[in-house]
Amino acid sequence: MEIFAEQLMNGLTVGSVYALVALGYTMVYGIMRLINFAHGDLFMLGAYVGFTVLMTFFAQSGLPLWVILLCIAFAAMAAVALAGVAVERAAYRPLRRSHRLTAVVSALGASIVLQNGAMLIWGPRYQAYPAWAVPSTRFEVFGVSMTSMQLLILAIALVLMVALYFFVQRTVLGMAIRATAIDHDTARLMGIDIDQVIRLVFIIGPALGAAAGVMIGLYYRQIHFTMGWAYGLKAFTAAIMGGIGNIPGAMLGGFLLGILEMLGAGYISSAWKDAMVFVLLILLLILRPHGLLGERVAEKV
Amino acid sequence: MYRRILVSQQGSALRAWTAVLALMLGLTLGLAGAIPASAQQPIRIGLQGPITGPWALEGEMAVNSVQIVVDQINARGGVLGRPIEIVLGDDQGSPRQSALVAQRMIAEGVVAVISSYGSSITEPASLLYEEAGILNIAYGATAETLTERGYQYFFRTCFRDDRQGAFFAELVRSHLGSQRIAIVHDNTTFARGLAEAARSSLAGVPGVEIVFYDAITPGERDFTATISRMRTQNPDVVYFTAYYPEAGLFVRQMRDAGMDAVFVGGNAAVNAEFIDIAGLSVATGVLVTQEPLPTDLDYPEAQAFLDEYIRRHGAPPTSPWPVYAADALNVIAAAIEATGSTDSAVLANYLRTSLNINGITGPIAFDAKGDRAGAIYKAYVVDAQGNIVDAGI
Amino acid sequence: MKAGSVFRSPLVRWLALLALAAGMIIFPRAASRYWTDVAVFFGIYVILGLSLNLIVGEVGLFNMGHAAFFAIGAYTTAILSTQYGIPLAWLWPISAAAAGLFAYVITRPIIHLRGDYLLMVTIGLNEIIRIALINDPGGLTGGSNGLFVIDRLRIFGWTVSTPTDFFYLVWGFIAVLVVVLLRLQNSRIGRAWNYVREDEIAAASMGVDVRWAKTLAFTLGAALAGGAGTLYAAKMRIISPDSFTFWESVILFAIVILGGMGSIPGVIVAAGALMVLPEVLRDFMEYRMLFFGVAMVLMMIFRPQGLWPSRRWAQELAQDAAEAKSAPAER
Repeated sequence: MEIFAEQLMNGLTVGSVYALVALGYTMVYGIMRLINFAHGDLFMLGAYVGFTVLMTFFAQSGLPLWVILLCIAFAAMAAVALAGVAVERAAYRPLRRSHRLTAVVSALGASIVLQNGAMLIWGPRYQAYPAWAVPSTRFEVFGVSMTSMQLLILAIALVLMVALYFFVQRTVLGMAIRATAIDHDTARLMGIDIDQVIRLVFIIGPALGAAAGVMIGLYYRQIHFTMGWAYGLKAFTAAIMGGIGNIPGAMLGGFLLGILEMLGAGYISSAWKDAMVFVLLILLLILRPHGLLGERVAEKV
Repeated sequence: MYRRILVSQQGSALRAWTAVLALMLGLTLGLAGAIPASAQQPIRIGLQGPITGPWALEGEMAVNSVQIVVDQINARGGVLGRPIEIVLGDDQGSPRQSALVAQRMIAEGVVAVISSYGSSITEPASLLYEEAGILNIAYGATAETLTERGYQYFFRTCFRDDRQGAFFAELVRSHLGSQRIAIVHDNTTFARGLAEAARSSLAGVPGVEIVFYDAITPGERDFTATISRMRTQNPDVVYFTAYYPEAGLFVRQMRDAGMDAVFVGGNAAVNAEFIDIAGLSVATGVLVTQEPLPTDLDYPEAQAFLDEYIRRHGAPPTSPWPVYAADALNVIAAAIEATGSTDSAVLANYLRTSLNINGITGPIAFDAKGDRAGAIYKAYVVDAQGNIVDAGI
Repeated sequence: MKAGSVFRSPLVRWLALLALAAGMIIFPRAASRYWTDVAVFFGIYVILGLSLNLIVGEVGLFNMGHAAFFAIGAYTTAILSTQYGIPLAWLWPISAAAAGLFAYVITRPIIHLRGDYLLMVTIGLNEIIRIALINDPGGLTGGSNGLFVIDRLRIFGWTVSTPTDFFYLVWGFIAVLVVVLLRLQNSRIGRAWNYVREDEIAAASMGVDVRWAKTLAFTLGAALAGGAGTLYAAKMRIISPDSFTFWESVILFAIVILGGMGSIPGVIVAAGALMVLPEVLRDFMEYRMLFFGVAMVLMMIFRPQGLWPSRRWAQELAQDAAEAKSAPAER
């Protein structure tokens, strides 16, 4: 039972990261019907920017740890948001009137550029976040052992998600995003600047991804320029599970995927766990063709 | 309407074929320009390795190491009075590219090839070289299957996985005195081969039980689930046969989960980056079974080689493999010198029957299969300063 | 269009075809083994691209896991050849049938999924197959070591072994395949496929059996890829899961889009571009893939309709653009 609870805790931790990355996929999809294949690489970029800022400015600063972590998280989020806007401007905007699949190939090209750019800047070797930067107190809650880093990740992820939810549901800008997602033409007639909304989405999504990247860097302490694809694929799976285009769906899908993965690896086989996750995903889609929370939308009428 | 579509389709197909023709012509012309001026003088030897791709670092170190030996040989007048020239081929760590590179080496008419780093990459190339009758020597491909095909032209200067597995079993039997062993690999050719070799070697050791045997996924970062499952089996030794990026995370997550079993890494698991990733306090005390590191080879040839390497590149190679590439060239040069021939059949026959030299990595001779005779493994340990030192056991 | 009018003349057309055929026959004699080999792999990618084009290009089904069917063909060939000694020439149709059957069974419950959900499912399939191959179920697939094919491909007494042999086999097959696919494109089936791609609901209401059309495309495309798997296994002699990753599927997908959806010549040109480009960029060493990515983005920006769009597709795009101009709306 304790082991089960521990697996659950591990699953929640990883799942919250998947959820943050999945939000980026789902928001872009909701607005543009585009699978942003470069999103995983923006997440990777976040991990690297956080690492670089940490090592250049805070290695001997002597500041309290929480100040440092806050600073590197904001730096990474800002830098990656910028990169996200740049990717949108360079690779997607020229293709907005083209066929959807054209933009998919362009996104793949952008992903290759980001990945190899990171390799050229930071080198092909693995980089490691230093041990001193990671809060690592262990404690037990109801007999379940967890680290302060796990709790931190869960807490930050939840705060970001709740903030996003309120932003989208309760603010004017959020309303503009929702309106654009439903119908571009009507939104434009209501005076919404579609370009601005798209830019906004390409700020929020990558920033959330960057926060996730820094957290993954701190949690596992090992980062590599190819990590974007692995996490990107997982997060995309999560977004599809929850129903792509649906914000609460992406959160739910992320947590669910993290937990399924951990339980599969813990109780059946770690070598087969990814295959099992995909089998479950396919079964889910057979039963619910639009994911858990996705709405039925007719493709063409 | 139907007819118009038909006609236009045919027209566009025609343009396509014209384009293909143009492409082909372009390739042919490019090729004509690429054929080098006939150079009879130097002895041309191929070096195939992962110069780009995920193992680019290994490729780069192999090129550096081989270049040192080339310069040494050429400085003393070459082989049979002819200088050595290296033809580089980048297989990118991909089986398909490896086959393409092998075809190019064969077309270039090299005397022999040093090829290659990974087992699954070396495999297609070794087949092509065998069919073309070209001597090829692998430097990092340790999977057992490679020398089990009865090839005439394939050799390797590195040792086979089964020998390292046997060494681990011996380590368990004579020094660790442990009974419950866990083995973790990652399903790559090499790691799985080593894990299986260790498992079968341990089968003959009395009182030892393998309580856990499973694979993780390369590129994965979270092994907590596997570790929780392993913990219920209570092993006293964990043998991790996969690569360092996962090894560092694995051992740390093991300790985080409160497991204090002895961690033993295979020869790809522990290096400086492993220690960075695991963190010094966790890495301290970790054991490794591996070929002697370049810095630990106490042959005079090794010292000279290492000094030169450090002089040129500032630091010694971080893995054992590049030195085996350098030794592959030593082997080829020695065989050409001794037989006075550059014919692969003669050279291969000499390697199998009479070659016996002192290489950088110790004495080198080959058995009938093309495997290197003997096996030199050592147990290393990570000390409290983060150095990987002789464990003295 | 001026160049096109020259080609309208049957004489010029036949002369050009003749020159092309002559060029193809001479090529392996003029080029080295290496470039002949490059041309063989290029050819195998053309076959794969054409097979995926049936699914993505003709019917508009998002399949980003095509390497799964390729893998099933290659592994069927390797397993049946090594375990039962069945000649490779027989295994060519058998592997195609195996991949086609697999696709038929597996796509039946998922074929109705909407675009991006289908995309995810095919990615998942690719990953499931790859993981299964690595984990070596029942000792059949050899795990990550893969399998070694000892047998040689023999067709009516012709042993296919040198790069030149493979060149003639692969490109000869492509010539036949292109003729067949062109006929198919203009048949009732081909037009039904395009109808489904453009408007599923309208197609259904006009009496096209949408489900049948989709399943047929998937099955045929997968079978063709399975057959390519036999060629690949016969050529490489050693197959391992490394050759059938998600990345391979992505490249195949890019070939179809880059060429221009539903365009047979487009697939050939795009496969050439994606195969030859990395070779040309080789001098840039570590910058190579960076430029490759930039080239992919630029090609899509400047040729969003594809390098060589099919006539039908181009017409439709022009229409779309006109609509977009008259009403500045976005979808």
